Amino acid sequence: MASSSGQETIIAQGVKVEGDFTSSGDVIIDGEVIGTVQTAASLRVGQTARIRADVTAGSSVVAGEIQGNVRVADRLELMEGSSIQGDVECQTLSVAPGAKINGRLVMGGEKQG
Amino acid sequence: MYCYIYDEFTQDKRFEKELLNIENRLTDLGIAGKIVRMALFRDIREMVRDEVRRGTTCVVAVGNDETVHKVIDALSGLDVVLGVIPLGGSNGLARMLGVPDGVAACDVLSARIVEKIDVGVVNGKRFLTSLSILNFRSELTCDGAYRLTPDTEGTLEIRNLAGDATKNERVSDPTDGRLETVIRVGVRHGWLGRRKMCESVLPLSQVAIRSEKPIALLADGEEMVGTRFDVGIESGVIRVISGRGRKF
Repeated sequence: MASSSGQETIIAQGVKVEGDFTSSGDVIIDGEVIGTVQTAASLRVGQTARIRADVTAGSSVVAGEIQGNVRVADRLELMEGSSIQGDVECQTLSVAPGAKINGRLVMGGEKQG
Repeated sequence: MYCYIYDEFTQDKRFEKELLNIENRLTDLGIAGKIVRMALFRDIREMVRDEVRRGTTCVVAVGNDETVHKVIDALSGLDVVLGVIPLGGSNGLARMLGVPDGVAACDVLSARIVEKIDVGVVNGKRFLTSLSILNFRSELTCDGAYRLTPDTEGTLEIRNLAGDATKNERVSDPTDGRLETVIRVGVRHGWLGRRKMCESVLPLSQVAIRSEKPIALLADGEEMVGTRFDVGIESGVIRVISGRGRKF
């Protein structure tokens, strides 16, 4: 699988990505993604983002919607109005009032690479 | 050994004095060389290859951005260093390389800071700066792994060495082995439904553009029309002399 480099990737509102998205740099998603999302660095899911994918990231801040399992190596921050429909795995979790998780939650396990 | 390729337009009288100053300065710096002039029915590729066969190790394009593009295409597969002496306006490329206009460029050539830079390739044709498509609404396959489609019509720009250096906009890095792919789409926002431009940016090494109808693409200012464009990158294939003020 090809991957994006260590540079920042922005998937803005108004575009749709389908397939296996991989990056080693920071990723910002405000658009629509279907498939899988993988980054070793940080992932920011904006309010307008609609993700139907399994997500793997180094750390993540979520303000939009994710339908799929979320695996974060370090810190996961769920902002007000965010929603995750799927299992969540992370080291540290911060949940704002109004954020939703519907799925199994595993925290503080062995750190993922 | 240096070879200076003068674009056809430099034969105009208004460049006579500037060229004389340049030639004098090059002689003072000890880097004077053979002068070859582009002409309507002369094949630039053949001219460059002849000079390289005779021992040229540094080819200098004397002219504007268009001159540099012509020379770059001719350098394909040759082990030479490229230099630029900007003349005659539209010298954005030289500015990004940190090469000043006219006679001042001779000192940059003499200092000889050589950078290895990437070139983009679209359907087998090289481009140094960027390619762009206006009214873009086609599908992109990115690095062979995922597809990207804009919801509405927008613009696509794939940058190797581009960005508006005069507006202090960040210039894409031509040494990173990636093409910066920028898609701009207008999205309606708020109660009044005003359109806001949203910009997606992806560092990629391979992009396939597919369209049902023929679309026009501009690569280094040259138009190509088609329904299929395969874009890739050749990493570090051009050695270019840059100045200290380069923008990347």
